[in-house]
Amino acid sequence: MTRPKKIYLVCATGIATSTMLRLRVEAFLQEHSIEATVRQYRVAELNPSLVDADVILATTSIPEDIRAKAPVVDGLPLVTGIGQAEALQKMLDILQSKSD
Amino acid sequence: MESFLETIGNFLNTLGPLIVLPIVITILGLILGQPFGRAFRSGLLTAIAFVGIFLTVGLLGTQVSTIGMAFAERTGTGLDIIDIGWPAASALAYSTPVGNLIIPIGIALNVILLLLGLTRTLDIDIWNFWHMAFVGAIVQFVTGSFGLALIAAAVSLVMALFLADWSAPLIQKHFKMSGISIPHLQSAGYMLLAVPFAMLINRIGFLRNLNLNPDTVRKRLGLLGEPIVLGLIIGVLLAALAGQGLQDILLTGVNIAAVMLLIPRMVAILMEGLTPVADAARDFMTRRAAGREFHIGLDSAVLIGDPAVIASGLLMVPVEILLALALAGLGNRTLPFIDLADGVFVTAMLVPLVAGDVILATLLGAIVMGIGLVFTTLLAPAVTQMVTAAAVSVDIPAGFATYTVMSDAAIPSSYGLYYLFQTPAVIAVIVSLAILVGLFFLKRRPLGGKMMEMAEKSGGSD
Repeated sequence: MTRPKKIYLVCATGIATSTMLRLRVEAFLQEHSIEATVRQYRVAELNPSLVDADVILATTSIPEDIRAKAPVVDGLPLVTGIGQAEALQKMLDILQSKSD
Repeated sequence: MESFLETIGNFLNTLGPLIVLPIVITILGLILGQPFGRAFRSGLLTAIAFVGIFLTVGLLGTQVSTIGMAFAERTGTGLDIIDIGWPAASALAYSTPVGNLIIPIGIALNVILLLLGLTRTLDIDIWNFWHMAFVGAIVQFVTGSFGLALIAAAVSLVMALFLADWSAPLIQKHFKMSGISIPHLQSAGYMLLAVPFAMLINRIGFLRNLNLNPDTVRKRLGLLGEPIVLGLIIGVLLAALAGQGLQDILLTGVNIAAVMLLIPRMVAILMEGLTPVADAARDFMTRRAAGREFHIGLDSAVLIGDPAVIASGLLMVPVEILLALALAGLGNRTLPFIDLADGVFVTAMLVPLVAGDVILATLLGAIVMGIGLVFTTLLAPAVTQMVTAAAVSVDIPAGFATYTVMSDAAIPSSYGLYYLFQTPAVIAVIVSLAILVGLFFLKRRPLGGKMMEMAEKSGGSD
């Protein structure tokens, strides 16, 4: 029995690109019947010691101390549409490799 | 023709954004090939977003109108114009007749320019078309002409695309991102003004050697990067200086903090409504542009994670406050407020001009914002009109305060076009065309030379 995955969507303002990410990611999760909690954040409000995510999708660069806490996938393809499928697949691979 | 446009403008105005925008979005979605259900849902969501936005902007208005005037008088600074911030401004821009139509107009214009080979930027950043609508709206309020407003909005859209093309190679190199450009006026609008100054200050060797570490800045000033904390601090400070009692001071602080969080959340709903249309528009434009090489035009928010951008953005908070006070007698009446949290958007595209040096970027930011603050003061009457025009939907006690927007009103192109379109229409159009042609030839020589060299050496950060 796998617990729901935790996905962080991170962008600069927490509203612009991360909203786009959320819509796509949620659609993708539904298609693949994956249970996950999805949260949107601004990069500036991420505190490394409080990061509890299985994967981070970001449309902006993530500082080193955050990268150390969770795998980061480049979310920009989900915004531009170019390479979107590959990015989502990468996220899927990471999530599936973390079953517990 | 003129009165035909006026009739349309008035019609849109009477119905109001809550009715017009959902219809526009739904129809646009259908034209772009969406199933009716999705298109309609997007439209409805857009209307709902506006209900939320008007509620929260009303909260902001009530708060600032009570402390605004009192603050200015008691402190003797004469800073009586309140900055309402870009989230509120975006909603207000969309609620104007120009704003109602800017999305379909913007998409059409971009596609045409792409097909004619005049631009290489495909601006999929649909919601940021509001910046162009903002320019159109202020022109409409000062001239009373819907036609001129449309033209001004169109001109600023083309400018945005050209500025994006011009800066694309530098941006891509510095931030190590390929295939993108930034037509986001909120950041790109400073480029023409910033480049000459950047060339000057790049020669100031000793400042560069000071080498301020971005991460140090982030750790020290990081709290200022959290809008709700910033809002609480500013709210409390302003209320105290305005002479309110302790209980009111605390309440104001909390309310402003609330506004800093709630307005952007409502804007997020708006974006949710626009995203399906944005997707359909993007697919539509990509199909039409097939075979040509183009940059994807994005919101400058994608640059904000860069440490140098964050650091200089944080430094802009005290800098902007100091500038406002220093220029108080010299043409500035604007009190930096909501947009203090958005210094990063100012510095995002300035950082590559100085090869990532935090101090130089902040200095450049200080220069453009210093000039910008005067612009915000000059544009305040038009912005205030935009607020009161929406006052039928927003509960702002009208006539109590003057408003401006530090982000968009500070951009040189905003005031430039505002001023230009007050001259006879023929002159305005000719000069606009001249500017656009000038920009077109300018962008054939992308920002480069020394700046690219420096970018190469220090090359962005990770």
